[in-house]
Amino acid sequence: MTEEGGKSPGMKVMGIHDIQNTPCARESILHGAGGSLVAGLVHFLATSRVKRSFDVGVAGFMLTTLGSWFYCRYNNAKLRVQQRMIQDGIKNKVIYEGTNLDPTQKKSGDQ
Amino acid sequence: MAHPTQLGFQDAASPVMEELLHFHDHALMIVFLISTLVLYIIIAMVSTKLTNKYILDSQEIEIVWTILPAVILVLIALPSLRILYLMDEINDPHLTIKAMGHQWYWSYEYTDYEDLGFDSYMVPTQDLAPGQFRLLETDHRMVVPMESPIRILVSAEDVLHSWAVPSLGMKMDAVPGRLNQTAFIASRPGLFYGQCSEICGANHSFMPIVVEAVPLEHFENWSSLMLEDA
Repeated sequence: MTEEGGKSPGMKVMGIHDIQNTPCARESILHGAGGSLVAGLVHFLATSRVKRSFDVGVAGFMLTTLGSWFYCRYNNAKLRVQQRMIQDGIKNKVIYEGTNLDPTQKKSGDQ
Repeated sequence: MAHPTQLGFQDAASPVMEELLHFHDHALMIVFLISTLVLYIIIAMVSTKLTNKYILDSQEIEIVWTILPAVILVLIALPSLRILYLMDEINDPHLTIKAMGHQWYWSYEYTDYEDLGFDSYMVPTQDLAPGQFRLLETDHRMVVPMESPIRILVSAEDVLHSWAVPSLGMKMDAVPGRLNQTAFIASRPGLFYGQCSEICGANHSFMPIVVEAVPLEHFENWSSLMLEDA
């Protein structure tokens, strides 16, 4: 991730897509590369067909990257929603502390 | 604000823009994968020695390249629609500001409590102080309290204009005789720059927008000062 006191330049694919600073991008690409290697190698070992193994490798890269990407982004989205709820909760607690609307006051029962 | 040679979006300053950035990353990753696949297919087609002039049909590949694009489109459409509806959610704004487009400046009216209005002209290049941004600075900024929902009513007094602030994820056309509404929450304090986004004459490029998000106390002090000066 980014360092303290300076931003890493990031690696841009096709000049636009910043892999290092985009959440889940780096992991997805790495998983995709691994999946591609495994799929292509296994196919080659099984069939000894070079060109078709390359095709299988590319298909493996696509599927593994997409699958890893969607899974990671879905979890990331859930985390962001939870983070926002926590932030709102902390802000509400600070604002409403000691008033009738204090959420912690309700939990402790009526006075 | 944008920096030289920038290709991507500016850093998000509102929750809606954060969501748009995430969606853009999602869509761009899919585009990147499809481009890689197409490039690979082109190279494979060009370099193959296999040719068959008598292929009539192939059910399997037809099914794959019908279903797969449909699935990909659905996976793009679902988050897109979610953000679309998120942008139109009914919220309870704490403040309403009217932004009126003129040739060639913006005017802002804060009329919720008192009658506060002012014009916002671009600072000419020869009058810029060191460190200020050319063609982006204005003499009066639109000051808003941070972390509060703000409603902006956009219209124009003469010709079409468009009120746009990219880091807030906002763009709304200013149409004479029509009142357009948009809303935002500035999640962090700072200066957010934008420019008129609808051709409106000779100085269309020289009527920028500057939104200054500050803590509520500072906003109250600023509005008191502006009312005293008026």
